[in-house]
Amino acid sequence: MRISDYIEQSFSNLRKKKLRTFLTTSGVMIGIGALVSMFSFGKGVQKNITDNFEELDLLNYIAVYPPSEESLLPQSSPKVDDNKQVPALNDDFIKELTQLEGVELAFPEIRFPALVKFKDKQKFCFIQVFSAGVSRSGFLKIRAGKHYTAGDANSLIISDTLLRRMEVKDMQTAIGEEVEVSTLKLDSDIINPANIASVMQGDKLPFSQESYTFTIVGVAERMGFGGTMPLRSDVYIAPVASKKMKKVLLTNIRDFFQSPQQAKGYSAVSVKVSSVGYIDSVKAHIEDKGLKTFALIDQLGKIKTAFIFMDMFLLAVGMIAITVASLGIINTMVISILERYKEIGIMKAVGASDKDVKKIFFFESGLIGFTGGVFGLALGWVVSMLINQVANYFLARQDVPYIDYFSFPWWFCLGAVLFSILISLLAGIYPASRAARVDPVVALRHD
Amino acid sequence: MNSTAFVETEGLTRAYSSGQIEVVALKDVDLSVKEGQFLGVTGPSGSGKSTLMNLLGGLDTPTSGRIKVQGKFISELSKQELVLYRRYQVGMIFQSFNIISSYTALENVAFPLLFAGVGKRERRQRAVRMLAKVGLSARKDHRPSELSAGEQQRVAIARALINQPKILLADEPTGNLDSATSRQIIRILSDLNENQGLTVIMISHEESLVRSFAHEIIHLCDGTIIEQKEIR
Repeated sequence: MRISDYIEQSFSNLRKKKLRTFLTTSGVMIGIGALVSMFSFGKGVQKNITDNFEELDLLNYIAVYPPSEESLLPQSSPKVDDNKQVPALNDDFIKELTQLEGVELAFPEIRFPALVKFKDKQKFCFIQVFSAGVSRSGFLKIRAGKHYTAGDANSLIISDTLLRRMEVKDMQTAIGEEVEVSTLKLDSDIINPANIASVMQGDKLPFSQESYTFTIVGVAERMGFGGTMPLRSDVYIAPVASKKMKKVLLTNIRDFFQSPQQAKGYSAVSVKVSSVGYIDSVKAHIEDKGLKTFALIDQLGKIKTAFIFMDMFLLAVGMIAITVASLGIINTMVISILERYKEIGIMKAVGASDKDVKKIFFFESGLIGFTGGVFGLALGWVVSMLINQVANYFLARQDVPYIDYFSFPWWFCLGAVLFSILISLLAGIYPASRAARVDPVVALRHD
Repeated sequence: MNSTAFVETEGLTRAYSSGQIEVVALKDVDLSVKEGQFLGVTGPSGSGKSTLMNLLGGLDTPTSGRIKVQGKFISELSKQELVLYRRYQVGMIFQSFNIISSYTALENVAFPLLFAGVGKRERRQRAVRMLAKVGLSARKDHRPSELSAGEQQRVAIARALINQPKILLADEPTGNLDSATSRQIIRILSDLNENQGLTVIMISHEESLVRSFAHEIIHLCDGTIIEQKEIR
C-alpha cells in the first residue's frame, strides 16, 4: 500500500464518523492548545528576560565588592586570604580598572535614600549617582525625555515605576517638571543637652532633612531586578548634582558596620567589559587583589536551569490535557475497531497483511494527531494573543509598555504539531495492534 | 500427492478447542482438484464446508495435514507468503457478500488493489472494467444498500476477480438469493470456469444447484468426505 493511499484511506474512514472524529480531534486540539499556551508563556518570559539582559548588556557587567560584602555574593567567589592587603574601592582603583584590557567602563555604586515629592505625592526611594557617560552607555533605557549632561547639577532622571507609584500616567507630562528631593543629613545640633538622653536611647536620630529642587529631564525604564545589578534605584543624578547635596551615603545597612578603612571606598563598583570573552580575565584580575566579584553571566547556567524547571512545570500541566486527549484517541480507535470488525476481516481476505491493517489504524491516529496539532497550535496562538492583548490593555493603563508575554519560535510550532502526532501515534499503538490481531475467519462471521 | 492436481489436500484436519472440549470441524480430508475444474462441495450445516473453504483460502491454518496449490504447500507458507497467496492466487465470495457498506460498488471492487500497491487511476480503470464484466457498469457509484442482493453478490465476484486469481472459492454464494438470482450467479461462475479457465470450488446446500455446472461434487458430513462423484 502506498503512503498516499494510507492517508486517503484514513481520511476517508475518519470522515465517515464526523462527530466522533470532531470530538476526538477537539480533545487533542484543546490539549495541544493548552500545552502551546503554557509553553509559549514560559518561552515569552524567558525571551523578555534574556532580551533585556542582552539589550542592556547586563551579561557584560561585573559587580565588584569589598571582602566584607561576602554574604551578599554567591558561594562561587573564591576565599580571600585574610592577610592580603585589599585595595579600597576608590577612584584610583576605578581608574586602574578602566585600563584593563576589555574594560569599557567602571563606575562606583553611590546610592543614598531620599524622599521624592512630585506635585502632591511623595515617595521614599534610592537615588543613584552616575556620570552622564555611564547614563548614556546603554543600560539606562530612556522612555521619555533625554539623558542629563555632565555639568547638569539640577537635573535628574526618574524611573517609570516611581512615576506610576505617584500616579503619573503619561510619562511625557513629567518632563520639564520640578521635583523636590529631601535627603538625610547629619545634624550635630540635635545632639544637645536637651536631646542627648533621647539620642542615646535611640528614640531620636541625629539626622535632619535637606531639600533640593530638580527638574526631570528623562524617564527611564526601571530594571525589574534588584540584588547585584548595576541599576537598582528610582532616581538618577550626575556626580555634580550629588556633590552639592548634603546626605548620608549608604547603599544598605551593612555600610554602617564597615571598618573605617573600608568606609573610605565605595560600597561597590560596576565594571562593563566590551564582550563576555573578557569577563573571566577581568574577574581573575580583581579577585587576585582580594576583592569579591559577581557576574550575571556566571549565573546564566542557574538561570537556564530555572527556566528548564519552569518549562518542565508548564509542560507537566499541559501533559495532563494531552494525556486525557490520548485516552480519547484510544477510546475512539477501539470503538472504531469494534465497528469495523468485519471490514478488517474483509481486508485480510482480499490480501491485506497484518501490517497493512495496523498501518491503516496508525495513520488514522496520526491524522487525528496532525489535525488536532495544527488546530491546537492555532487555538493556543489565538488564546495566547487574546491573553496578551487583555494583559497589555490593563497594564497600559498603568503605563507599562507593551510586552509580548508569549513567544512562538518556529521550532516550537513545528515541535507542537510533531508532538501531537507522536502522542497520537503512541495512543494508536494498542488499537492498531489489536486490529492487526483480528482473526479474519471470526471477523467474516461477525455481524 | 498427485503431481497433476491444481489444488490438493492430504489428511486435512482442523480442530477447535473450546475449554476442555475439542471440536473436530474437518477430519482427514483428501481432495484433488484439477486446473480449470468446477468442484461442488455439498453437505449439511456443520459438516465442515466453510472450514474447508477457509483453509483453502489461506484464512485459516490446518491442525494437521497439508494443502498444496499450484505445486506449493500453502499450509507451510509464512504469514507474509499467505498474504500474497490470498492477494493474488485466490478469490473468495461469501454467502453474506462481505462487501463494505460505506463504499460504492466501484470502491469495493477496487479495494484489493489498494493492498497490491496499484495506483489510484489504474485501480479505478480496472474496477470499471471488472464491473462491466459482471454487468454492473451503471451501478458503479451505488452503495450496497442501493443494490439488490444479486447485484451485491456480483460486486463481490468482481472484487474476488480483480487481482486475476487462478482459483475462485465460493462459500454458499447463493445462500441469500432467490432461485432465479442464484442461477444467474452460478451461470457467471460457470462462465468464468468454462471461458476463462478459472478453477472454481463452490459450496452449496443444494446439490441440485451445482449439479448442472460442476465437473465433480463431494459430499461432506461431520468433517469427512462421505461421497465423491464425477458429474461430467
